[in-house]
Amino acid sequence: MSDKVKFTVKDLDLFYGNFQALKKINMSIEQGKITAFIGPSGCGKSTFLKTLNRMNDLIEGVKIEGEVTLDGVDIYKDFDAIMLRSRVGMVFQQPNPFPMSIYDNVAYGPRIHGVKKKSALDEIVEKSLRQAAIWDEVKDKLKKSALAVSGGQQQRVCIARTLAIEPEVILMDEPTSALDPISTIKIEDLATELKKQYTIIIVTHNMQQAGRISDKTAFFLTGEVIEYGDTEQIFNKPVNKKTEDYITGRFG
Amino acid sequence: MNTKNWNNRKMKDGFLRSLIYLATAVTISILFIIIGFILYKGIPGINFNFLTRNWDNKTTFVNVKADASKAGDGAEGYISSLGITVKEGDKNLVITKIEKNSAVHKAVNMKNESYDLKKDDTITKIGADNTEDLSYTDALKLLKDSDGTLRLKVTRPGGGIVPMFVSTIYIILLSLAIAGPIGISAAIYLNEYAKPGRILRSIRFAIQNLAGIPSIIYGLFGMLLFVQTLKMQYSILAGSLTLSILLLPTIISTTEEALKEIPRSYREGSYGLGATKLQTIAKIILPGALPGILVAVILSIGRIVGESAALIFTAGTVAQIPEGLIGGKSSAATLTTKMYWLIKETGDLSSASSIAVVLLVLIILLNIASKMITRQFLKKTGNG
Repeated sequence: MSDKVKFTVKDLDLFYGNFQALKKINMSIEQGKITAFIGPSGCGKSTFLKTLNRMNDLIEGVKIEGEVTLDGVDIYKDFDAIMLRSRVGMVFQQPNPFPMSIYDNVAYGPRIHGVKKKSALDEIVEKSLRQAAIWDEVKDKLKKSALAVSGGQQQRVCIARTLAIEPEVILMDEPTSALDPISTIKIEDLATELKKQYTIIIVTHNMQQAGRISDKTAFFLTGEVIEYGDTEQIFNKPVNKKTEDYITGRFG
Repeated sequence: MNTKNWNNRKMKDGFLRSLIYLATAVTISILFIIIGFILYKGIPGINFNFLTRNWDNKTTFVNVKADASKAGDGAEGYISSLGITVKEGDKNLVITKIEKNSAVHKAVNMKNESYDLKKDDTITKIGADNTEDLSYTDALKLLKDSDGTLRLKVTRPGGGIVPMFVSTIYIILLSLAIAGPIGISAAIYLNEYAKPGRILRSIRFAIQNLAGIPSIIYGLFGMLLFVQTLKMQYSILAGSLTLSILLLPTIISTTEEALKEIPRSYREGSYGLGATKLQTIAKIILPGALPGILVAVILSIGRIVGESAALIFTAGTVAQIPEGLIGGKSSAATLTTKMYWLIKETGDLSSASSIAVVLLVLIILLNIASKMITRQFLKKTGNG
């Protein structure tokens, strides 16, 4: 896999009203890798993640300055938010399947993007569920409510739902924080598997998780990127004292 | 803590508790007395005829083809040429039985439309002769001997609630068809599109106040605007439009509550997949809010069924099945307005009570239906 840059962020500032949540963020996120954002609560890592598919647009009073480009195109100036979100999919902290069947959940994305043919939808649903490593568990209950399966399965259904719109990037906002250890391992394995085809950016509270699965890690603190580099380097030879303190558990 | 204080407290507690029990007992017994009284007064008047007949007697001239060749003697009062059996009524002939292939099934009225005679129809004129001028035997003989096309004047007895029942249904459907889409759209606008601020607060305040206005004011407004200015006359359309305005506040606020219940995560999930706002509303938010919207609809039906003041001035109190939407022929009384009219104009309390029983049953059925729909829905989506 080449080191092609997917996202470039230049001097990004983000304000909630008068509060500055992100300060002068500069970062290049590479294609085909897993990039992890770590940091204590309220450090802005989730906020930053949401600027990458413009989910912050939905919140009243958010102001964004600076530049974010996807494949060299400015996502705030030259992109429609709807278009952007079908290229940059998102998996949320809490599994949030819609209150409908597993099939309809996964088919939701393709349907809103205009796929109507039953056979095409069937194909996408099966492919996505297989990719999300949950096909064998749910293939007999596709018509059952997605809310009826376990939390870990729900999260993988949500990942399948995101895969079904064939995005280039998948943003994961603490995808395992609501799950048990076994489900967490499954999602981690899945992420490692998916990076062959997708660029994955994951926000996590769990440092071991970042260490286990990511190629690059960014450490956030009070709205700033303190250190960004190869995961191995960040965890073994952090340059910044604050990073070292956080990694070694002196605060967090 | 001394014993005296303790006893004092216990006494106070017991006293207050018995007051609460008493209040509950009074409320419940009042409810039972009201329902019991209505049932006691109303149930004797409810029978098959009450539920299936027209309100007013209806008199019609019909032509029937008598066939004298069909000879035969049957029971007393059997008329073979017409295939019917009659008995002596109040100076008239009352049909008591009609054969399956009787000629009266092919009777036509003066406009040459089919007018099927029924049991209990009263023959008041045979050809040119009024039956009340003839003795029963003469009238019977006249009927028996007739051959060829025969003109009869037939009175169909009334005393039933069918027109009011049908009008009530019409007004329910019409009002919901008008107020439902408007109210739901308004709720969607207020909850999903409108920016929070002073304007939104004022709109909400206005809607809340609208809900508190006495319905007779809506009735007056409806009469001035729809009945007079827009020249709809007393009609089900004027009535339904007035009711629609009256229903809007309830529909809007109930629907809004239901929309607020939809978790933020559903919206985020939908937007995160690249859905537009409208797609999210249509596919995620509205289906999720459906139970709440159904509750709004059922509440509205209850309100329509129970409304009298707003309808008396706009839909009138005529007991007829409405024809068309506007104009005199579409003026129609609902069950409730007819009840009001009965009590006020005729003092016929037992008929009014009978209608009240029908209304009570209707409301109970509606409530059961709403519970069942909601439960069914919750089961289906797995929310329950």
